Amino acid sequence: MIRAVIVMNTQGKPRLVKFYDFQPPEKQQELIRSVYGVLSERADNVSNFVEADAIFGPGTQLVYKHFATLYFVFVFDSAENELAMLDLIQVFVETLDRCFKNVCELDIVFNFNKMHMLLDEIIFGGQVLETSSEQVLKAVEEISKLEKSSSAISLVPKSVSARFGR
Amino acid sequence: MALLGMRGLSVFISDVRNCQNKEQERLRIDKELGNIRTRFKNEKGLTPNEKKKYVWKMLYIYMLGYDVDFGHMEALSLISAPKYPEKQVGYIVTSCLLNESHEFLRMVINTVRNDIIGRNETFQCLALTMVGNIGGKEFAESLAPDVQRLLISSSCRPLVRKKAALCLLRLYRKNPDVVNIDGWSDRMSQLLDERDLGVLTSVMSLFVALVSNNNEAYWNCLPKCAKILERLARNQDIPQEYTYYGIPSPWLQVKTMKALQYFPTVEDPNTRRALFEVLQRILMGTDVVKNVNKNNASHAVLFEALALVMHLDAEKEMMSQCVALLGKFIAVREPNIRYLGLENMTRMLLITDVQDLIKRHQAQIVTSLKDPDISIRRRALDLLYGMCDVTNAKDIVEELLQYLSTADFVMREELALKAAILAEKFAPDLSWYVDVILQLIDKAGDFVSDDIWYRVVQFVTNNEDLQPYAAAKAREYLDKPALHETMVKVSAYILGEYSHLLARRPGCNPKEIFTIINEKLPTVSKPTVAILLSTYAKILMHTEPSDPELQEQIWAIFRKYESYIDVEIQQRAVEYFVLSRKGAALADVLAEMPKFPERQSALLKKAEDAEVDTAEQSAIKLRSQQQTSNALVVTDQQPVNGPLPINQLGLVRIPSQKMEASSHNQGLTKENGAVSKVDPEPAPSADFLGDLLGPLAIEGPPAATVSAEQNMISGLEATPNAADALALATVGDQSNSVQPIVNIAERFHALCLKDSGVLYEDPYMQIGIKSEWRAHHGHLVLFLGNKNTSPLLSVRAVILPPTHLKVELSLVPETIPPRAQVQCPLEVVNLRASRDIAVLDFSYKFGTTVVSVKLRLPAVLNKFLQPKSVSAEEFFPQWKSLSGPPLKLQEVVRVVKPMSLPEMTNLFTSLHLGVIPGLDTNSNNLVSCTGFYSESTRAMLCLIRVETDPSDRTQLRITIASGDPTLTFELKEFIKEHLINIPTPTPAPAPSPALAAAALQPQSPITRAGYTDPGVMLAGLL
Repeated sequence: MIRAVIVMNTQGKPRLVKFYDFQPPEKQQELIRSVYGVLSERADNVSNFVEADAIFGPGTQLVYKHFATLYFVFVFDSAENELAMLDLIQVFVETLDRCFKNVCELDIVFNFNKMHMLLDEIIFGGQVLETSSEQVLKAVEEISKLEKSSSAISLVPKSVSARFGR
Repeated sequence: MALLGMRGLSVFISDVRNCQNKEQERLRIDKELGNIRTRFKNEKGLTPNEKKKYVWKMLYIYMLGYDVDFGHMEALSLISAPKYPEKQVGYIVTSCLLNESHEFLRMVINTVRNDIIGRNETFQCLALTMVGNIGGKEFAESLAPDVQRLLISSSCRPLVRKKAALCLLRLYRKNPDVVNIDGWSDRMSQLLDERDLGVLTSVMSLFVALVSNNNEAYWNCLPKCAKILERLARNQDIPQEYTYYGIPSPWLQVKTMKALQYFPTVEDPNTRRALFEVLQRILMGTDVVKNVNKNNASHAVLFEALALVMHLDAEKEMMSQCVALLGKFIAVREPNIRYLGLENMTRMLLITDVQDLIKRHQAQIVTSLKDPDISIRRRALDLLYGMCDVTNAKDIVEELLQYLSTADFVMREELALKAAILAEKFAPDLSWYVDVILQLIDKAGDFVSDDIWYRVVQFVTNNEDLQPYAAAKAREYLDKPALHETMVKVSAYILGEYSHLLARRPGCNPKEIFTIINEKLPTVSKPTVAILLSTYAKILMHTEPSDPELQEQIWAIFRKYESYIDVEIQQRAVEYFVLSRKGAALADVLAEMPKFPERQSALLKKAEDAEVDTAEQSAIKLRSQQQTSNALVVTDQQPVNGPLPINQLGLVRIPSQKMEASSHNQGLTKENGAVSKVDPEPAPSADFLGDLLGPLAIEGPPAATVSAEQNMISGLEATPNAADALALATVGDQSNSVQPIVNIAERFHALCLKDSGVLYEDPYMQIGIKSEWRAHHGHLVLFLGNKNTSPLLSVRAVILPPTHLKVELSLVPETIPPRAQVQCPLEVVNLRASRDIAVLDFSYKFGTTVVSVKLRLPAVLNKFLQPKSVSAEEFFPQWKSLSGPPLKLQEVVRVVKPMSLPEMTNLFTSLHLGVIPGLDTNSNNLVSCTGFYSESTRAMLCLIRVETDPSDRTQLRITIASGDPTLTFELKEFIKEHLINIPTPTPAPAPSPALAAAALQPQSPITRAGYTDPGVMLAGLL
């Protein structure tokens, strides 16, 4: 089972946090800090695996990918395959990329609600739900249509997020 | 314009981002929280859109790490909103903010259910997602059937069905009863025919969860799994969007192979052939390529295939091929693959006969200890630790020692511990072991736990040949500058004991030894000072003829510490000073330490304890645990004794062997917990014995009195218990001269409620028991431990089973070697309900003493029960359909042990009678439901209702219903035995005719008497 999905930037600021077994907020922050502590010490050309026993309890593993200013981190137990989890991070990131057209940290910051929708189409209750980014995008588009029809915006356009970012 | 709705959110995020420091951020957030709070307070002016915006802000604030302790209700209320955007926010934010036991969730169950059974697919998806992410017990009970319907519905879109599958999986984890095994194996088999890859992936996850719990029920799905693998890996028959970097859905391939690993074997030759063909193709057809993502995907499949081969390849046809592949992987450039290569080699060590193949790669593995990636270094360390045996221990341990000086700080403690354990386990000779540990302390003293140096002292003390060598080594180290304090401790201890063995060597006369140790005194901490004082006393004793100058120097130190603030040190100083003036008597007290009793290494124990299992065990681990079930002899293992208490290293020897005896008692106390009253505070008392009794002993009588008292106390405490136990427990001859030292009856009763513990113990041996129960099968292991230094002979164990149990005991060896423990597996099958008890007839010979006992085995009725939680809708129809005797029996029970309802609930729970709160509207009643398993009845539901009288706790009325008259009667009597004040002895190994008759005729006089009892009127009716 996947225990947690954490997206944070290289300064350790959380950008998306989702725990599939509930953790109280203080505990969440403590875990995020510990993960950051481990990741920030890792060089670039090393493996994507970190033993997470010390942070998340016995038998847990952590895979991460580092893209520009962001870390994408999945935490899971021994029932999952490490490389398959790494592939899933890739699917998540590729989907974001297609959704936001060259995704950057700002997109994620200003569309954190959208991130939750996307993630919910890929991971469900700690299990892999969908691995085809086409299918994920299709589902998200359907949702967006529904939102639009109720006269609300779902995506902050790049021009806007860039303006706020400055 | 459309942006307006959420503009506030973007502005807020932007504000927070622009904060220069944490303080500013907190101020901005507090301001926002205040704003949201006031807006929520007068909700009238709030549009749904605004509410939505605030709830998103709450989630953002929550993610940043601020506690949001209000507004949960507002988030929750959005779930009931009619429009999609509000509803969506409500669901998403609720599933992040609330945990499964939050009371608010109960309020939305109906809304959630309406969304799930409604016609709107997007609403269905939202509701399923929240239920799946939170996954509470209450959701499981009330929503599982609806979720199940969505999964198997043919009219639902794949988008909904795949979510339903995973939602059901989450609910199943919370409450396995939501999936009824009987119907599900066929249904699962159909679901695995699914063509849509998205749905199939989810279904496969659900399948993995189901088989991991019970593989027997899903044999029919095995060929389906093989088909899916063929479809993906061989035929590549899937839509383009599900190929990932050219690999057909690696996730589904991996999941399918995970599922297959939960089946013990694949028997069908066709399926097996097909499967191995696919596996062979995967193993052979995967290469390391340039594209990282493609590599990751193809190797995800490859490593899972390796795991499956390890699991299935009992004939080891492909095993050498696997090891060769792994050997290749641990040397490639790609760090992920190096990492997994090492990890999988470690897993492979669990399989017999491949160790030699793996050893060929030792050089490469050692190189990995220097990998730039710490994750890989850790894997290499684990692997070296696992593959170490007598043949390569020297090489590996020396590599580890060498690595220690450059290793990361975070790894050093683990490294030191592992090196110490390997040195101990596989030492070709003991002097090498001493070398290793001393080097370890020298190089990484900060990371060497006390256990490690205690252990080396134990070895040296117990092996006379080793003592001069160890003393010489210790002396060498003292010459080094900047010595670690642990090294000071261990050298001082060893030299105190054995430096006289070196006396003729240069630099080793007592005075020189004293001088060099005493140089360290000013810089060491208090515990070390205490050890040094003991060493000085020992040196003084060994100085022959006495050296007045040295004596004066040491006395001066003793006098200096006589008024020291630390009591331990002060006491030692005072005592040693007085003692050392006694002349020859000193030698009696401070004589060489006796040998330590053999005990399990505290280090090994530590290593074992560290291996904790996760909830979802991987298949390979499960198997390796099952492999240990054959009878085997483990020497040098004495679980009775706890880890070595520190104070035993005090240098003072007690006259007589009292010390050893006391250490035994202490071990017992630890093992038995509350039962043993011999020694309520073990640690201080050992200290007392060690440090106080010793000095007193030279005065003569007082010490003797004290230890005699100690003996008397333990004697008094133990004997009545033992007699009591015998009266109740043993059936046949009572002529044993050897008395048990535990209360057998109490042990038996304790073991009826738990699955492992001590069944019997006397001065020579201990019988422990460990049991696992599954439906009507029981797997027990008897641990026969010899506590002595001489063997136990003519060991004989026979089971006298009652007619309702089929019991098979594996061969028990005739002799149990000194200090060894023998494990004897015992298989039990329950044929039908009965309260009769199996008896273990056990005897052995120690010297000329023959000990023979008959012990009741805790294979009792409640072990074949499994608590069930059923809802009111399930309970009442059952209850009504079982209308009266003999299927439903009622009785008023008197002389009940007075207990409160929570106490009774505990008792019922420990008997595996699942209590269901809230089912009975009367709070003085207790309703419980359990499944009984036997070969004749299979799984049979039992319903129990207890009506208590709050004004008189000594009586109650009990009603029991099940589909089998014998079961109803036996269960009623069984529960009565546990409720009534006097423990009922049921020693008869075979059912007495009277009981059998009663079972056939449940309307016994007692029962009937119950109906005319006034208590019945009092208790009201159902």
